[in-house]
Amino acid sequence: MALSCHGAIDKIKGEVDFTFALAGNPNVGKSTLFNQLTGMGVMTANYPGKTVELNIATTTFENHRIGIIDLPGTYAIGGVSEDQWVARQAVIDGDPDVVIVMVDATNLARNLYIVLQFLDLGFPLVLALNLIDQAEKKGLTTNAEQLALLLGVPVVPTVATRGQGLDALMKTAVKVAKNRGSQPAHGTRYDEDTEQLIRELEAGVNAANNGFPHNLSSRALSILLLERDDEFLNAAAKSAEGRELMAQADRLSARIEEMHGKPSPVSLARERYGLAGVITSEVQTLSRRETPLSEKLWRSTTAPFSGLVILAAVLTGLFAFLFFVGSFLSNQFTHIWSLTASPVIDGVIRFVAGTGVVAHTLNWGFDAGIMATLGVGIPYVLTFYFLLAILEDTGYLNSVAFLTDRIMHKFGLHGRAIIPLVAGAGCSVPAIIGTRVLTTERERVVASTLITLVPCSARTAVIIGALAFVGGWQPAAAIFAIVLVLIVAVGMALNSILPNQPGGLVMEMFPFRMPSLLSITKKTWYRFKHFITAAMPIVFVGSIVLGAAYETGYIWKLSAPMAPIVEGWLGLPAVAGLTLLFAVLRKELALQLLVTLAVVKYGPEAKNLLKFMTADQLFVYALFNTIYIPCVATIAILARELSWKKAVGISTFTVLLATFVGGIVMRVLTLF
Amino acid sequence: MSSQAVEEYLEALYKLSESGPVRQARLAEHLGLSQTAAAAMVKKLISLQLAERDEAAYINLTKRGTKAALETIRKHRLSERFLTDILGLPWEKAHEEACKLEHVISPEVEDGLDRLLNNPKSCPHGHPIPDKQGVVTTLPTRPLSDLGADEKGVIARVSEDDPEMLKYLATLGLMPDVEIVVEEIGPFNGPLLVQIGAARYALGRDLAERIMVKESA
Repeated sequence: MALSCHGAIDKIKGEVDFTFALAGNPNVGKSTLFNQLTGMGVMTANYPGKTVELNIATTTFENHRIGIIDLPGTYAIGGVSEDQWVARQAVIDGDPDVVIVMVDATNLARNLYIVLQFLDLGFPLVLALNLIDQAEKKGLTTNAEQLALLLGVPVVPTVATRGQGLDALMKTAVKVAKNRGSQPAHGTRYDEDTEQLIRELEAGVNAANNGFPHNLSSRALSILLLERDDEFLNAAAKSAEGRELMAQADRLSARIEEMHGKPSPVSLARERYGLAGVITSEVQTLSRRETPLSEKLWRSTTAPFSGLVILAAVLTGLFAFLFFVGSFLSNQFTHIWSLTASPVIDGVIRFVAGTGVVAHTLNWGFDAGIMATLGVGIPYVLTFYFLLAILEDTGYLNSVAFLTDRIMHKFGLHGRAIIPLVAGAGCSVPAIIGTRVLTTERERVVASTLITLVPCSARTAVIIGALAFVGGWQPAAAIFAIVLVLIVAVGMALNSILPNQPGGLVMEMFPFRMPSLLSITKKTWYRFKHFITAAMPIVFVGSIVLGAAYETGYIWKLSAPMAPIVEGWLGLPAVAGLTLLFAVLRKELALQLLVTLAVVKYGPEAKNLLKFMTADQLFVYALFNTIYIPCVATIAILARELSWKKAVGISTFTVLLATFVGGIVMRVLTLF
Repeated sequence: MSSQAVEEYLEALYKLSESGPVRQARLAEHLGLSQTAAAAMVKKLISLQLAERDEAAYINLTKRGTKAALETIRKHRLSERFLTDILGLPWEKAHEEACKLEHVISPEVEDGLDRLLNNPKSCPHGHPIPDKQGVVTTLPTRPLSDLGADEKGVIARVSEDDPEMLKYLATLGLMPDVEIVVEEIGPFNGPLLVQIGAARYALGRDLAERIMVKESA
């Protein structure tokens, strides 16, 4: 359930003895730690207008009930990116008793940066020094006691994937939480000049300390203002004293810039890095330099030649898995459903509503509708999520992004978009949810639109099924070629139409890590649950509406208004148009319905579609079915991931595109 | 207005103009002055023919003004080298002290320092020291995107067009004076895989074009 952050944090805080926040860089093992500490009852929450989510859960340790807020993995906390903002806002709102910062022992200096920022903000900290096993493989040993001494906070070495050190970590955190307030504030020490300016501004902050949204120390506020933090500068600008303070902060920032020749935020970042570097060199020793196997393997996935070969293999594997395994599972599921669930549902409906039109209509919703959701959900969505989680957690996704960035750039996308695009060949629904790996709304809109055009396995089945009547593989290949051209053209067009150019790619790359099965399973399950709750109601209602149209015979009345487009422009029989309407429910329904309705209208020999449609018509039919609105489940997921407005916009666009291309192709075909 | 103040302003104007045309408001902000004080100062510089205001209201140094500014910068940076290299003062302290010394050093002392320090080319922070004729020999810089695989350099500056990006990059450790190694170039002239300390990043080509690097020391 998605809650607002304020509500979710308040709810948890009311129920527990202590609240811990988990912070740290991305990929340090934070989510593994979170999953180890907590059970299945996880709430996700987000701030209004933000897509970055917080996971919140409770756990019990030594008879204390503890609420855990899992912050998004970030390199820093601040206002410059959405994840950093959410991380900072959540600690400020949540006011945790302890912030557990997990740091990567293999890259200590960079990881200490965020630790120093938390010290600036004045939170009680406990450091989890994670990945010490990986660091040892690289020949790095870390003196945890000395690190604790230098930072003034407890440090606990851990190997989160194996659960090592977690008990000690929790014990330490509880101890710190119990003594909250007695821990001496041990902030970052900047160089003397900067410290002097911070102190000068602190006096101003103390004089004007009203109007700031949060209970931060004057030192914390001074540093934020000197870092030119927009949020706090804007907060200051609201009052007269605040504006005076702002002018003072401007002056002092200019002094820093003059002294160090760099803008003050960069200058402060530099000092923190300087300090982080000094601390690291004092507590870590490198005994030998050796490249571990995982790193060698990783390098081969980013090298131009071997990287592209591996990528082609992985994408083919992903496609084949979704296509073959997915459709096999889907068939099995449909078969089992029709043997087990269908008769039961049918019986209940018969008992409640009899056998009239109403009962038949209800059957569309409860039987066909629910089956359609699960029939897509279990075979395709669940398997895709599982594969995606593996790609994410091993770190391979980043190699993919690196390799394909240049090509994807033509569409205004980053390299990461290749995974959802290829996944679209299996099923559009998980692919669209997969666009969450993209960082901007713009990218998600472009990628989602393109995904709706990628023929999913259901549409491929129609292409192959319909064109089997025509014979030969060439017509099917022609459809895929047309669609590919359309995807490229639409992608490039969208990129030039949509405002704002894509921002530059900055992405951390890290050698492969062994993923933990627990966190992959949990991730898969949460995403699957989201899918079911989003898609089920819409598919259900859609099924009832279409079912009612069919059962009342109202459907035949729809052929007249559709005639100018279906018969006039596309040159298809009216019956074909009606089936396209129904295929919105499930794309593979198009062909089954075409046969059913044709038999109703033309008699049994119409089972062979060529008896009433030409080869050209079948071609246009399959092409149209491929391009126009994917299906109800896809529309539902577009609405959930983007907005209803965008979902309707994308759907309308695909209908227009399909109509346009279908009509043109029909006219070109008649030339031959 | 004292000659010391004039020198200070010329120096500030010169440094600001290195990153683009300068408006009065920016100068005032940089020096922590009110707009009126800045206006008075600009007027004074113009009357001394050290600066001029162009049609777009940008303030530019005249030839004379540039020469005077470079002379002060030379004295400042030579003093810094003296304070750090000979006296062993910390960098930050050296800057402060040099701010005072730069105004009192005579040409003879300046020459003496230059000889004593073996004609240094840059200050302790890596900025170039102009020579006696006021010529600045900067270390050649090139965009990071020009580097090939296995090449390395030191970040000289990051384009300031986008202050938020600049801040973000700094939090990742991508900032001036940091050594950066290009490990790999993405296929089809794609992004760069770079190493900074123990961290590795993929940087888009457009971004790499805005990061200027110089030769590693």
